Amino acid sequence: MQPLLTRREFVTAGAGVAVLASAGCNSAVVPLPPAAVSIVRAPLYDHSLYDTMRRVLSLHRLDVRGRHIVLKPNLVEFEPASSINTHPLLVHAALEAFRSLGAAGVRIAEGPGHRRNTLDLAEAAGYFKIVPRFEDVFTDLNLDDVSRVYPPRQASRLSKLYLPNTALGADLLVSMPKMKTHHWVGATLSMKNLFGAVPGGVYGWPKNPLHWAGIEESIADLHTAFPRQFAIVDGIVGMEGNGPIQGTPKPAGVIVAGSDPVAVDATACRIMRIDPLRVRYLRLAASDDGRILEPNIVQTAESIASVATPFALIPLFQSLRLEGAA
Amino acid sequence: MAIGNLVVQAGPVGASPAGSPLMAIGNLLDRQNPDGGWPYVRGGSWVEPTVYSVLALLSAGEIGPARCGLAWIRSVRRSDGGWAPRADIDESTWVTALVALLPPEHLGEAFHQSAIAWLLDTQGRETTTLYRIREWLLGNPDTPDRHFPGWPWVPGTAAWVGPTCLAILALAKHHQRRPSAAARGRIEKGQTFLLRHMCAGGGWNHGGVNALGYASRPYPETTGMALAALRGATSPKIDLSLAVAREFLRQCRSADASNWLRLGLRAHGQLPVEYCPPPGLSCRTVPETSLHLALAAADRGRGIFGV
Repeated sequence: MQPLLTRREFVTAGAGVAVLASAGCNSAVVPLPPAAVSIVRAPLYDHSLYDTMRRVLSLHRLDVRGRHIVLKPNLVEFEPASSINTHPLLVHAALEAFRSLGAAGVRIAEGPGHRRNTLDLAEAAGYFKIVPRFEDVFTDLNLDDVSRVYPPRQASRLSKLYLPNTALGADLLVSMPKMKTHHWVGATLSMKNLFGAVPGGVYGWPKNPLHWAGIEESIADLHTAFPRQFAIVDGIVGMEGNGPIQGTPKPAGVIVAGSDPVAVDATACRIMRIDPLRVRYLRLAASDDGRILEPNIVQTAESIASVATPFALIPLFQSLRLEGAA
Repeated sequence: MAIGNLVVQAGPVGASPAGSPLMAIGNLLDRQNPDGGWPYVRGGSWVEPTVYSVLALLSAGEIGPARCGLAWIRSVRRSDGGWAPRADIDESTWVTALVALLPPEHLGEAFHQSAIAWLLDTQGRETTTLYRIREWLLGNPDTPDRHFPGWPWVPGTAAWVGPTCLAILALAKHHQRRPSAAARGRIEKGQTFLLRHMCAGGGWNHGGVNALGYASRPYPETTGMALAALRGATSPKIDLSLAVAREFLRQCRSADASNWLRLGLRAHGQLPVEYCPPPGLSCRTVPETSLHLALAAADRGRGIFGV
């Protein structure tokens, strides 16, 4: 897997521990090693994505030799003219890239929240056409065997969750969302994408218990239930306005990736010109440890400023707009 | 292998598990777990695929494996009288409606009554007295939706189209056998719930018909389910939805959608007599294969879900 800490990160973390010790540790900001987030340009869904994806993974020096990887795209609905789902070419490029790095196995897994027949949805969304022998590498997380999990940190009213064994058993769960606005939580990115890892076979379609338990709180809880994550956000063509289904396609031309989903989502928000400090689930997940602050995120490849493009927001979420953005 | 009295006459079941009812039965038997239950695709036993498999095998005369399935279902009943989706889940949910669809003479009368009692005692949270008092105290206006209870996927949450359809089908089948005012009342209110949650142009999706002012589109499978649950009801809305269902069926490339659309249209005498599932239709899960088999039996007049 990824090297635990670089020397620089170790020193930073050590300094943080020292500060905490001197402060008595009470409700203090916990300094974390800076999270690395890459922003790579990718203007089109074409075959250059295979090289681009290898480059993305190389930026993060992931050591996945002999590991089992699960790619979790975002499949919601299919409408030909829209940009609701993670593009199958990006997912296939990731699958090939992880295989080329020596992964023992790479699976694609998803559990859509509205539609019960996941494979029909995947077929309509182009996955069968793009990914050879798709059914052999795919697991429907709505119908997978489950285990009971007690999230280590509980923000919602759900004291336990039943989660699919394919996702829980992965050495690395790779959340691959579409970069979209969301009419209930502002933005849906790698953390919200984990709603698709909640099995419909247990919770139904939609996964309504998460809504009653608090959507934002449930996003934060789910994040802690999967400790071994990587995030790759499909921002090549995202969605703005009334996302995550009825919005408008929004080309942003980027792939955002990293090992800390909170930092990745915060960066994606900044690219969308949304203030991550005003996105409640990000604040809950970060729990004031500062990891959504821009200085605490090590940006690689492109800068945020060079790729930022404002995503249109519905009136309810105008207050999320990053200061100084159009 | 015995295939009971099933006639190999239906259209292809699909590339994945079976190309004929005979192959579909073989596929179901191959997938039965040692504990008697069935997975959705592979893995441990779940109540939903087990119920559908039992219904299909009973309709095909495969009594032995069906009995093993029934024994597993009986063994996982919970102390509150309901069923959880799997044995290792500690809450009774929507799958109780599926158990209530099983013939009592096979399931056992006491188990059937327990499933029916659980259903009659369950409703979406937004129609419960406690929730309505809470809303009143908060100063929120009463809405007509709070007077027509449907059923939730999981108790303590809102009612949705899918579980409401299954609960209505179960109660209607029960009511045919043993009429009761309680069952009839819940069926009628449940049907009103469905009509109130129909998409603007007809048909049903999961139940969210409106998202921030934008009308949501219907799905084929839930449209079929809702029409099946609305058997005997009359409303111009149903006529509108029947037209949507016919169009869905004409374009259908999904076994799940085909199964439910046929059930829904049949419930209103609107299934085209010449209809045959398109070639190459893939049954990708145990419920899809099972329903397809059960429908083949229904084509010969053996009712499924009382539809």
